[in-house]
Amino acid sequence: MIALLRTEFVKAAYRTRTLIIAAILVGLPTLIVFAIKTRGNRPGDGPGRGNGEGLFRLAQQSGLLVPAAVLNVMSGFLLVIIAGLLAADAVAGDAASGNLRYVLMRPVRRVKLLAAKATVAGLLIWACVLVAALAALAVGVIAFGSHPLTVPGVRALAGTPLAGGFQLGASTILFRVAVGTAYVAFGFTALLALGTFFSTLTDTPTGAIGATVGVYIVSEILDAITQLGVVRYAFPTHYADAWQSMFTQNQYPHDMVVGIIVQLGYLVVFGTAAAVWFRRKDIRS
Amino acid sequence: MAEEVVVVEDLSKRFGEVTAVDELSFTVERGQVYGLLGPNGAGKTTALRVLMGLERPSDGSARLFGTTVSPGSDELFRVGAMIEEAAFVPNLSGMTNLKLWWEAGGSPFRDADLDGALAVAGLGDALHRKVRTYSQGMKQRLGFARALLSRPELLVLDEPTNGLDPGEIREIRTLIARLTHQGATVLLSSHHLSEVEQTCTHVVVMNQGRLVAQGTVSELIGSAGSVYIEVDDPVRAETILRSLHGVTGIVAQGDGLVIDQSSGSRSDVATALVSAGLRLETIMATQRLEDAFLELLDGSERGPSPSVPGRAPEVAS
Repeated sequence: MIALLRTEFVKAAYRTRTLIIAAILVGLPTLIVFAIKTRGNRPGDGPGRGNGEGLFRLAQQSGLLVPAAVLNVMSGFLLVIIAGLLAADAVAGDAASGNLRYVLMRPVRRVKLLAAKATVAGLLIWACVLVAALAALAVGVIAFGSHPLTVPGVRALAGTPLAGGFQLGASTILFRVAVGTAYVAFGFTALLALGTFFSTLTDTPTGAIGATVGVYIVSEILDAITQLGVVRYAFPTHYADAWQSMFTQNQYPHDMVVGIIVQLGYLVVFGTAAAVWFRRKDIRS
Repeated sequence: MAEEVVVVEDLSKRFGEVTAVDELSFTVERGQVYGLLGPNGAGKTTALRVLMGLERPSDGSARLFGTTVSPGSDELFRVGAMIEEAAFVPNLSGMTNLKLWWEAGGSPFRDADLDGALAVAGLGDALHRKVRTYSQGMKQRLGFARALLSRPELLVLDEPTNGLDPGEIREIRTLIARLTHQGATVLLSSHHLSEVEQTCTHVVVMNQGRLVAQGTVSELIGSAGSVYIEVDDPVRAETILRSLHGVTGIVAQGDGLVIDQSSGSRSDVATALVSAGLRLETIMATQRLEDAFLELLDGSERGPSPSVPGRAPEVAS
């Protein structure tokens, strides 16, 4: 298994697209911080993205919070595309290039190969989230310093009492940023499982990537329809932003635990489906 | 009895309504160079894919070294294969491709017969260049090197000269000949008749997924046509051959005779003449594999041979 993991990792790591992704993940946080630093947050700057706008305001107090703000922006779409690309291309990309049949003409168990490909895709997704967070942390600290954070009290709704503000020390911010980064990364587990599953269904990587990202986008759209009720709780994106309460409400939300369970559910269901399908699949590419 | 390296038995492969391979049976023994011959779409590649564990048979079985093939079978380690074009990771060097492919099987690269494989590939320093800079011929040679890394007992080659120029085709042919002299068993598919004629000892002819004929190349050529001979006494030769079973006609042509046969082989003719004390100076088939192949295909499209109802004709010695 170690040999297969190493093989798959080298194949993935040495691709030109991996370098391009790394450049985007380092460059985008830099650009965002540069924009905030030079322009600042002005009233009427356009619509914010819920907690995201709040995180950007807070991040100007302490660069340690910039990773949280950047991940909030990137995890909604850019990281979904990147993770979809890495997960859904794993098998279908190899099939399209003809490499899959050559690997499978060796005494290699298919499920083992699939597990190696999914593991490498998962590790690369984690690496992407980590690179984005570290880049944001570095430029954030350079731009705004590493000060403690004071979160002002807010009135959640008209007529409700004012929620108290709170302070976070530098080490607490760092710890929560680490937890948030891990949660965001783990939040792509369902996407990894879906992408791997779709990847076994087709020899066309663009089709698999499109289907994976499409499911996520549909999930986000449907999740916004509150009339769907409890059904939304099973959507892979429903608990995606749960981690932000650590910074806006000073609490480790229970929703993070539920979110992890939902992600694991997708991993079990679609991981098993992918393995069963791939084991019996005729390799026609 | 020679060891059976490949046994394909009543193998069928269907994709929905389409039958790609239909009750195909043949056996390859150790040391043979077996050609799967057929037009495009005959089912050759599908049969090889089933043999290599890439596809599951709908019916029947394919065995390698006595073991029924399944995906990831241990027997695959004893096989070197090239199915369709040689595929590699384009942004890695030829050497890295070989290393990664080998190690994916769980063996350390030092166990591979790298020197032997590279000698065959003859890529020199190009081996350390990215594969995307390779010509089609270089990729094909690297594919051969990959197939040879495990010192395979059986080589399975699917259209090994496709897309190559005449010089490269000759190189590949020489390479196959060298490997067979070293004792390798080879099963290759092709629709290039000259390639099969020059490379193979035995042939399976397929059409529309079905077996049309099988036997040695000379049997196949001889079975469908006639033999040209030159002897020191043509008149006596004619008398002798007219009484030989399977001879249907004898016509003088230049310095020799053309003998039409409905059955039997060239060796029957040669044996009869030499046994009678005649000096046999020339004996050759008057048609090439191409003629035999086209006749067989034509016959298969008209239906199974009336002499063996329900079965494709087998050319046996």
